[in-house]
Amino acid sequence: MNQTIPYRQEGVISCQQLTLQRDYETVLGGISLDIPRGAVVGLVGRNGAGKSTLLRCLVGLTAPTTGTALLLGCPSLELTETVRASLGYVAQMPDLFEWMSVYEHLKAIGRAYPAWNEKRCLILAARLNLPLGRAVRKLSGGDQQKLAVVLALAHDPEVLILDEPVASLDPMTRRDFMRALFIGHDLTDDLPGSDVEPTILISSHLLSDLERVVSHVAFLRNGRLQLFDTWDAMLEHLRLVPNDTSGVSASALICRNGAQSVIDTRCAPHCVNLGHALSLDELFVELNS
Amino acid sequence: MNFDITPASPTPIYRQIVEQVRRLISSGQLRPGDDLPSVRNVALQHAINPMTVSKAYSMLETEGILTRRRGVGMVISDSMPTHQDKLALLRPALMAATQITRQLNIDDVEAHAVFQSCLKEWTKNEPNDPV
Repeated sequence: MNQTIPYRQEGVISCQQLTLQRDYETVLGGISLDIPRGAVVGLVGRNGAGKSTLLRCLVGLTAPTTGTALLLGCPSLELTETVRASLGYVAQMPDLFEWMSVYEHLKAIGRAYPAWNEKRCLILAARLNLPLGRAVRKLSGGDQQKLAVVLALAHDPEVLILDEPVASLDPMTRRDFMRALFIGHDLTDDLPGSDVEPTILISSHLLSDLERVVSHVAFLRNGRLQLFDTWDAMLEHLRLVPNDTSGVSASALICRNGAQSVIDTRCAPHCVNLGHALSLDELFVELNS
Repeated sequence: MNFDITPASPTPIYRQIVEQVRRLISSGQLRPGDDLPSVRNVALQHAINPMTVSKAYSMLETEGILTRRRGVGMVISDSMPTHQDKLALLRPALMAATQITRQLNIDDVEAHAVFQSCLKEWTKNEPNDPV
């Protein structure tokens, strides 16, 4: 599991021992994370686990009590203009200019970003069925969320940090949203791949959506990072086995509940054909029991 | 052609794609020269991460099952190692093992058992994805 803290942070989004105390409560307890370029990370955890707080610390909207957060190597609390211009962030409660129309809003924000591309912006808006002429204050909650997402994506950011971006959206729109994340970074088949792969961190409860697109998953519980690894590795190596399975060392045990344990078969190779692999939903339930 | 992808499955998505391509070739539904849908199209159709599709296609390319053709994308390779070719590649290694078996006067049955256990051991510790 990638829980060892690298001596030098190489990642595009990273933090080291991030802690936040609020009124004697530990909201974030020593979180260290190193997210590589091009990763699509799902941040999952129950309500109150600290997901929004973690994201706010990463983008520099909230200062941690101790520890550091970095974006593209730049301290989150002192982001340079260059880094800001390559960052897209969607907050849980989007902050929008209510009096403008959708189109005016897009143009207004667009002026702040050198890389803003009107055509790309309009394509995204069309894909998500955003009514361009309507006043923002007249949009439904779901449409306001879509607008926030288009605003975050339109300048083709290198880093995207999204806090429950699809919570109010219907399943079809959620799919369109997932597709929209990858527009403009197409891996065309006769070229090895685009240079600018966006690095994405999404917190969401909609695990079935995440399962389609994530490369990595981070599980948060009570302000602490329980697990962080590539999703493929979790599928291939984690197994749900009965508690009385023999030969399971402490290093192989991820968590134990009631009658079952989640184990890492890389530390218990004899168990690789025992039990069964877990879907994201099941793993979430086990880790939060 | 369309892939059948189940994101909630315990099988990683890239592996579902790899296995389907292999099956379609075995069954003759995909033949040498046929082209596969682009990474972009597969990703868009299923609302999945294009990197996942790219990973699957790269693995198949490394195996020699797919060939990348400029302007076209991934196509099924014309000259895939046949089953006989693969067996022929195995012979020299097994001849060397046979020589050792004879020199050390090891029983044939026991020699077979050693090979079996090697095969089992390899499957367990198989290095995963060629990144």
